[in-house]
Amino acid sequence: MISDRIAITTNRPTEFVDLTSRLQQAVERAGLRTGRIHLQSLHTTLGLAVNENEQLLLADLEALLKRLAPAEATYLHDDFSLRSNVPEDEPANGHAHARNLLLQPSLTILVEEGEILIGRWQAIFAVELDGPRSREIAIQLEGEFARRIADGERRLIELELERQLHADPRPVGDPMRRLVEAGGKRFRPFLVLLTSRLGPDHDPLRAATLAAAVELIHAATLVHDDYVDESPKRRGRPTVAAAEGPARAVAVGDYYFAKATRLIAELGNADVTSTIAEAMEAICRSQIDDLEFRGRYPGDEAAYLKVVRGKTAALIAAACVAGAQLSGAPAEVVERVRRYGDAVGVAFQMTDDVVDFSERSGKPMGQDIRERVLSLPLIYAIEDASLGAEIQELLAGPLPDDHLRRVVDLVSRSGALERVNRQAHGLVRAAVGELEGVDLDGVKSTLVEIAESVVDRHA
Amino acid sequence: MIVSEELEAIEPLWKAGLEAAYSAYIPAATGLGEPQAARVALAAALVEIALELQRLGGQAPPPPPDLLRGDLCLARASRLLADTRDRRLQIAFARAIEDQSAAAAAGREAQPTRSRLLRAIGESAGAAA
Repeated sequence: MISDRIAITTNRPTEFVDLTSRLQQAVERAGLRTGRIHLQSLHTTLGLAVNENEQLLLADLEALLKRLAPAEATYLHDDFSLRSNVPEDEPANGHAHARNLLLQPSLTILVEEGEILIGRWQAIFAVELDGPRSREIAIQLEGEFARRIADGERRLIELELERQLHADPRPVGDPMRRLVEAGGKRFRPFLVLLTSRLGPDHDPLRAATLAAAVELIHAATLVHDDYVDESPKRRGRPTVAAAEGPARAVAVGDYYFAKATRLIAELGNADVTSTIAEAMEAICRSQIDDLEFRGRYPGDEAAYLKVVRGKTAALIAAACVAGAQLSGAPAEVVERVRRYGDAVGVAFQMTDDVVDFSERSGKPMGQDIRERVLSLPLIYAIEDASLGAEIQELLAGPLPDDHLRRVVDLVSRSGALERVNRQAHGLVRAAVGELEGVDLDGVKSTLVEIAESVVDRHA
Repeated sequence: MIVSEELEAIEPLWKAGLEAAYSAYIPAATGLGEPQAARVALAAALVEIALELQRLGGQAPPPPPDLLRGDLCLARASRLLADTRDRRLQIAFARAIEDQSAAAAAGREAQPTRSRLLRAIGESAGAAA
């Protein structure tokens, strides 16, 4: 159950204020998929009604109210000499109270598939009877919210991954199963499932296959990355290269690149196939750039953004786009979620960079620095006139623990972490902005929540 | 024309085996018509070169730059096949790579990549005729 208030300001003594679009926005904000929205006027001279929003009809209804309870008629309520404890600003408004008898103090509107359920000509009104005034209407939303859907989506992802891995030959399947079972945010497949709800051809099982394929691509890149970076552990367990040897890691990565490509081709949606293929190419291209830039470590902001757009943002944006394309979503929606995914992807990586400087990150502090991974806080810190030279000097050396700690300290003192955080938050605001003004079929609130969670990681 | 556009970041591979592999696939792909034939022949050549670069099935692992160049070749091949919109070929090529990598992981011999890909191209060209 979610409670909220709708505030309105009226301009005339009698006025019909159409609340329909604001109620729909409240439903979307809350992520209510199926249920009810209850409205209750918090005033004795403000009623509620469902009727047609046609100006002449509204004039007729206003005239009707005036005929049935004329302002010039006599109301005992207006004779303040007969009442006790009358406030000084009490208006003579017996007619407004009488008119309110003809309206409703509360309404319940049904919600289905994230939309308030009203007929073609119906609109939901607050009816001012004693304006102009500032008014409040209480609303409560109950039913099935997107978060519950999110739980279901997550279960679906796990089941589909399990199903896909179950049938694979053990020499490749076992190492991948261990990696997948070790956890992971499932960020990309979750985005696929969410955006697969945006078009008329939503099919949860096909979407689950696409989601699993996207996660397998991500996992395959991790398997190869870990060999390239010589990382001993991933998700708290030995990497595939460390546990099985580099040759096996190469084969496992290749197998799942290919399998994911096949699963997507089998879906038979050429646009989805192209979207994912282009993202894979962008990822691999940026991996090469990343390795080259490490020779010019720590690089500059332009190089950083080029690598991050390919390495991290490309697959996140593609996940959003492919889900929407699979469901036949309109082109404008597809383009909006692409821009959303791109901004979220870059913000995600920036936040990851900041987390590397946190003692609470769960991985050794400064690991990215030790591995010479491009890092925006480091790039910014080096721009600092008083601290930059010392940081560069330390980075040029072999970085024993005390030097690493010094680099972390200098970066923290330079204000670079706050600067990167501000940029990441700005990107999230831009991502959320992309979701405004398009029909997102009830998934908007979850997409907003995901975007905000990206920069709310402290550890 | 298609070929020169598609060599970005992997130009040195052209003279290091990619051109020869491409030439070997062109006769089989011709039946697909242009520009499909060039795309498919290059995709097949990229797959073959990628698996070589990555030393798939070998004892010694590839140097990291070769692994990454191999990944880019595989991804580019996948995108070229996506451009053709030939679903049958996309699936056949993917299955070939799955089989090669599963065999490599298991330490057993697999059918040569080229013969698998040539057969897939031949079947697709036959279907298109």
